[in-house]
Amino acid sequence: EINLMEELTLKGVTQYYAYVEEKKKVHCLNTLFSKLQINQSIIFCNSTHRVELLAKKITELGYSCFYIHAKMKQEYRNRVFHDFRQGLCRNLVCSDLFTRGIDIQAVNVVINFDFPKMPETYLHRIGRSGRYGHLGLAINLITYDDRFSLARIEEELKTDIKPIPPVIDKCLYVAEYQQEASKDNDGKV
Amino acid sequence: KIPEEKIPEPPEGVQDKIAFIFNNLSVSNMTPKSDEMRDAIKDEHTPWLSQYLVMKRVSIEPNFHLLYSNFLDCLKISRLNELVQEEVYRNITVLLQSDKTVANFSDRSLLKNLGHFLGIISLAKNKPILHDDIALKPLLYEAYSKGAQELLYVVPFVAKVLESVGKSKVFKLPNPWTEAIMSVLVELHMEPDLKLNLKFEVEVLCKNLQIDISDIKPAHYLKDPEVKYTLDTQQLSTSSSSKDNGASSKPSTPSEQPQ
Repeated sequence: EINLMEELTLKGVTQYYAYVEEKKKVHCLNTLFSKLQINQSIIFCNSTHRVELLAKKITELGYSCFYIHAKMKQEYRNRVFHDFRQGLCRNLVCSDLFTRGIDIQAVNVVINFDFPKMPETYLHRIGRSGRYGHLGLAINLITYDDRFSLARIEEELKTDIKPIPPVIDKCLYVAEYQQEASKDNDGKV
Repeated sequence: KIPEEKIPEPPEGVQDKIAFIFNNLSVSNMTPKSDEMRDAIKDEHTPWLSQYLVMKRVSIEPNFHLLYSNFLDCLKISRLNELVQEEVYRNITVLLQSDKTVANFSDRSLLKNLGHFLGIISLAKNKPILHDDIALKPLLYEAYSKGAQELLYVVPFVAKVLESVGKSKVFKLPNPWTEAIMSVLVELHMEPDLKLNLKFEVEVLCKNLQIDISDIKPAHYLKDPEVKYTLDTQQLSTSSSSKDNGASSKPSTPSEQPQ
């Protein structure tokens, strides 16, 4: 089998985790969507069932979202993904079906609503396939049960996932802000 | 010329709500989101909203320009469209007058984005870009006379503004205003040592407008020594002397919050 992991990189992606209880996850998502500047986002869940549940829940809460998961027909998935790419909606809730990383320029935020167990899965979700590795922000919602997975994934991917700071510098995930980093360091969210 | 007075900011909760609305705005929920926005924002915060829209959204999210322009029309908040337009011009002016001696990719892309949006909210809606607000042809002249670095900022910007004439009954060719600028761009395109990416900008514009570049008669404007006596050079005035390299005087630096 071809190892696709080599094509993916975490370069340019700033990774954070937020430690939450399972039942506080949606609340946490609301906070993120009130504080961050999101062009488009992808929100990952660990099962098709949870994808549907979450998409339903946040649509009720006023989110602009589509969802796709592995149990949908391929042609339907293609359609949804195409429309998302066109910007018809802002956020996409999905299970693991990208095997080459996300190469949509407009997606500047990726959220692991459910933290994955396997490093491969993490890399496929968060990693960028673009050679230029455009900037992005990855936020992981971590529960008590995820604590070992977090350590293992950091270790195996040799990457650093830090606790989410109260204020996230926009230079880290919005390309046009990047060059301002050196000029001033008070970029607020 | 650039007003730096304090703009009243809405409380944090309201700012959060507004961020949420913009993070979730789409074609299909325009009407409910407009209602939410009107409920959230008070009259005195309209200037803040226009600044937020221009500096935090329009200048860095070109993929949603059409959406944001439609949103403005859907909102029907009095004075908002006017304030947004003023804010667009203000940001463009600041960027044009900023120091261009160092190649600054992000300023250039901000300028391009603002130009694209300006076209959408003016030309595409058959509204003119007034000479007093921004004079595109003299801007090209000035940039040309100042050199390659200035052209890197100005040409992509002008091309992005003009992209919208394709959607306008009034400004599509052969509108004389449009034709005049296009012919200057084509004159520039014929320059033998013009940077390749700038040539492309002109070619891409022609392609977007579905016109053949050879159908446009090049002007004799950029090299006309008489022209400079007829211009009041204000657009790029400070660039070479670069007096304003302090980031604080630069409202278009998006990481700065409006005071």
